[in-house]
This record gives sequence, structure tokens and C-alpha cells, in this order.
Amino acid sequence: MSDNVAGRLQQAVAAGVVLALGLWIALVSFSVEDPQPYLFPQLIAVAFVGLAVVAFLRALRGANRTGSGMSVEQLQNTAPAIALMLAYIFVAIPTLGFYAAATLAFFVLYSLYDPKSHKLASTWLMRVAVTAGFMTLIYVVFAMGLRVQTPRGMFI
Amino acid sequence: MEFLYHFGPVFTLSSMAILCAGTIGGLLLGATPGLSPTMAVALLIPFTFHMDPAQGLMLLGAAYTATVAGGAVSAILLKIPGAPANIATALDGYAMARKGEGAKALQLCFIASFIGGVLGVLVLIFLTPVLAQWALSFGPSHLFWIAILGVTIIGSLDSKSVVKGLLAGCVGLWIAMIGYDSIQGVERFIFSEHLEGGVHIIAALIGLFAIPQVIEMLEGGRHKRTFELVSVKPHSVWKSAKITLGFPRALTIGSIVGVIIGLIPGAGGQIAGLVSYDQARRFSPDSEKFGTGHPEGVVAAETANNAMVGPSLVPLLTLSVPGSPTAAVLLGGLLIHGIFPGPNLFEKHGDVAWAFINSLLVGQFLMMIFGLYIAGLAAHVVRIPPAILASGILVLAVFGAYSVQNSQSDVVVMLMLGIGMYFLQQYGFSPAPLVLGVILGPIAESNYVQGRIIAQAGDGMFSYFCLGTMNLVLISLVVLSIVYSVATEIRMRRLDAVGEAAT
Repeated sequence: MSDNVAGRLQQAVAAGVVLALGLWIALVSFSVEDPQPYLFPQLIAVAFVGLAVVAFLRALRGANRTGSGMSVEQLQNTAPAIALMLAYIFVAIPTLGFYAAATLAFFVLYSLYDPKSHKLASTWLMRVAVTAGFMTLIYVVFAMGLRVQTPRGMFI
Repeated sequence: MEFLYHFGPVFTLSSMAILCAGTIGGLLLGATPGLSPTMAVALLIPFTFHMDPAQGLMLLGAAYTATVAGGAVSAILLKIPGAPANIATALDGYAMARKGEGAKALQLCFIASFIGGVLGVLVLIFLTPVLAQWALSFGPSHLFWIAILGVTIIGSLDSKSVVKGLLAGCVGLWIAMIGYDSIQGVERFIFSEHLEGGVHIIAALIGLFAIPQVIEMLEGGRHKRTFELVSVKPHSVWKSAKITLGFPRALTIGSIVGVIIGLIPGAGGQIAGLVSYDQARRFSPDSEKFGTGHPEGVVAAETANNAMVGPSLVPLLTLSVPGSPTAAVLLGGLLIHGIFPGPNLFEKHGDVAWAFINSLLVGQFLMMIFGLYIAGLAAHVVRIPPAILASGILVLAVFGAYSVQNSQSDVVVMLMLGIGMYFLQQYGFSPAPLVLGVILGPIAESNYVQGRIIAQAGDGMFSYFCLGTMNLVLISLVVLSIVYSVATEIRMRRLDAVGEAAT
């Protein structure tokens, strides 16, 4: 059991989201005209909703004792990384191209979470060198070795 | 002794090069804190697409074996187990390292891993064909229950909460149904253009295992990670071999415990290591020395966690039920190469299956040889900053997911599943049952539909799916796995309550 268990409200919200997903699956599965392709989904939806209801009720009673939940500090620390990942996939890849976007994502993520001082030139040189080294390796493996064709943007 | 005829493909130059690369890569990945064997194998799957199926599986098998053993490096030198399987190793291994016996502890660990690993693979070699022969008589109803058993076992044993484990399994089964229905071609649950092709197993595997770990590595923000890295003084390999063989009790206990736990689907390496460590301590005349840097503790834990690797593949290869989360990922790797494990495996793909199993045996030797000689190098790997590691894994995950079928949609699905899994993990949901649901969903559905057709022409659904010895045995196992886990959960909760009351 986790020593640091999420509060009742957080657990209830999480269980509620899962329950809502289960209800939506059940709604879609049982409201179709031709039930044949949905026979198995119906079976799963029943089990899903049943378990989700149990999880939700347990969360409301404060009986869910697993999962530490999200702290404000954790959210603050992870939000930039998640935002960067989304920007990398949805914005950078289509506009810059696969390798250019990957280089930028690697460099920015590394720089954001590198504990070394941002004020030192040597730190930035190190970051550039590590990024260049890693991306060269990725290019050699995927473009030259595995011959993976990647979509181009402004760059490769 | 059929396996002896299939060593040829293993000893070719290209296969040996792949095995060496998989072993060295696996040892380094395993030694890196935060990189689990499951994630390492998931990230390696895209590299096998262009390989011959046997060689692709050799790479994955070698990496699986080596990452489990490599996880001991950070467990011994940093007290951070590289994988859950190495938790017990850290108990005495780190204490030995602090006494200046780091190299000795690493050598004991690789020699013990080798002994346990060879025994485990021999169990795999001799037990798999027997079980596969028996499983040939299975019909759609049995295969349906076996798929459900796989999800319930991992769902209930791999999670701290049975309800959440089973729910994660249901989410996985639902994800598997997204896309076009394989029988009538009807659209199901497509709510985004990226889901038109369904959710590819490999994209799901990479997303569910790699992305949550990337985000977890960054949870601490820019704070510098502080740990004490102990020095590794040289030590004679031969002396270490003599010391290891001087603990026959620990080697025997570790081997037996590892084999038994490996055969139980879902039990996993961490349980093998801890149970073996505990039993070795009980039976040892030096039980009071355990935890203070006693070599017997390292030997017992490492023998067990590698003895588990081979047997954990027995239910996977014969019944399509993975014995561990990493075996679940290997199942994905097999399916990608068009190899459907199960009763017919040795009839349809005997050459590939035997080459893979034999490569695991050869891999044990390579793991020991490279392990003994790159332990010093691995000591540097454990110091890679999380920021570099996380950035590298992110880029690798994106390229890996894209290379599956050159589709940007796979990348989007991979990332969204990964981010969703990270949040679910914070509330006690585990990725292993979810992944198993994704993998076993199509198997369960196709057998359910086939069984339904047979049942409608015969005695009806209840009779076909719920009666008969094999159906009843499988249903009992499904119920037993859930009841056992619920009982364990209740007992743990009571122990927690007693502990809280005492403090």
C-alpha cells in the first residue's frame, strides 16, 4: 500500500472519469442498430461499468488506498514536459519535419530539466554537444540503418 | 531433444552479433535507473521489423535476459534497483558495495544469474513442447477463457488494487476494439481520425510503458539528483565463482523459487527475488548476517530473478498467456512477426520458436561474460542525468512508434496513451493489465465470436462456454486469481491499519 495516498476528492474524480468512459462505451455498444459487431464490446462494457461503479463508490467512501495522486508541485514540474511533448507531436513535427522537431524537443526538454546553471556558457555547449551526438545516432539508426521514411516539414 | 537440431541459426555470424548487441545493450539499459526491462524491450521492438523473425526475437530475448541481470548494477552501486526484479539484490548488494566489495557483489550477481538463468531456460526447453501438445486440444471457448485468465491474473496480481487492476484490463480490452471490426468491417469507437486504423499494439506498448516513465523522471523538476556512488575495486572473477558455488543452498532455493514463480502467470521477478531471499535467510545458519552485506543474499536473489525468465515464457509460448509484463511485450513482438504463440507454435513456426529458445540459452553465457567485464562501464551508465535520459527516451519512443507503419497517427496514439497512463498510474492503475487487454482483446473476441457460432448450432451459450472440465478449470482459475488477490488486498489493508494504530 502506498504511504502517501491521494485524497478522497482526487480519487473520486479519477474513478468518476473512468466510470464516465465505461458508461460511454456501454451507451455506444448497446445503442447500435446492428448489435453483431458489438457483442464482445457489450460484454466488456458490462464488466467495465460494474468495476467502475465499485471503484467510484470505494473512492467516495475513502476506501481507495492505492495511488498517491497529483500534488501541486508534481503538476508544476511535469506540466512543461507534457506541454512540450504535445507541441513536439502536434506542432513541431508537421511544420519542421521529423528530425528537426526531434532535435528541438530533445534540446529544450534536456535544458528545461538540467539542474546545471543556465548562466554558464559551458552548460549550453554541453547541451548542444549531447543533443547533436544523440540526434546523429538516431539519424544513423533510423534513416540510414532502418531506412525509415519520415515526413518532411521546413527541414528534414 | 529436438532443440539440439536448431542451434544452427543461433551460431551464425549475424545471429551472434545480434545476441551480443542485445546483451550489451540490455545490460546497459538494465543498469540505468528508471529503465525497466519491459520498457527496454518495448523500445527495441521497432528495431526488429527489418530483421528475420528468428533474429528479431533473439534480440528481444537477449535484451530481456540482460536487462533483468543488468538491473542489479544500480541496485548494488546506488541502492536503486534497475528493475523491480532487483529489489532483493539491493538489500545485501549495496551493503557489500559500501564495504568496498562492489565488484565482488557484481560478479556474484552475474554468476548467480547465469546459473539460475540456464536452469530456467532448460525448464522452458523441456516443459514447453509438453504443454503445447496438451493445449492442442483447446477449442474457442477454452481460448476465450485463457485470454480472460491472462487479463485477470495480471490485473489482480500486478496491481495493488484488484478492482483497479481489472478495470485497467477492461480499458485495454476496449482499446483493442477501436477501429474496424475484423469480421464485418464495421467502425467501432472511432472518435478521431488518428484512430481509423485502430490502435497498433507496438504504439500502445511504447506509449504505455515509456511515456509515463519519461514524465516520472522529470517529476522532481530541476533538482539535482543526489546519490552516493560507491567505488568499484577490482576483484578476481575466479574467486567470485568459488564463492558463488560455495552457497549451494542459496543457489538451489533461488533456482526452485524462480522456476515455480516464473511458471505462475503474472507473478513476476520481484516476487521471485524477494521470496528466494527470504527463504535463503530462513534456512541459512548465518541468517543474522543477511542485510549486512552477506554474499549469500545476493546469490539467492539473483539466482531466482533470472531463473524466472525462462519459465515465464512457458505460458506465453504454449497458451498465449504472458507470465510477466515483459513477456506481454514479447508477445507483441511475436505477433508483429506474424507468429501467434499457442498450441500450434511448434508445428507452424517450430524453427523460429526453437531458435529463439536456444538463443536464450546462449544468451545466458553472453550475459555472464559481458556482465563480468562491463560491470565497471555500467557503473558510469548509472550516472546519466534524468534530463538526458528522459529526452532520449521521448525521441526514441516517437521514432519507434512512427517506424511501425510509417504513420503519424501511431505517434499521436502512442503519446496520448502514454500521458493518459501517467495520470492513471498516479491513482493506482497499472500499465501491465492494460497492455495485456490490448494484446489479448482480439484473441478473446475472435474466440468468443467463433464459440458463439458453434454454441448456437449446438447446446447453447451456457453449455458451450461454461460446462465441460476444461472450461470449469479455467473459470475456476479466473475466479481463484481474483479471490486470492482480493484476500491479499484485505490482509494488507488490515496490516496497514494495525501499523497505523501502533504509530
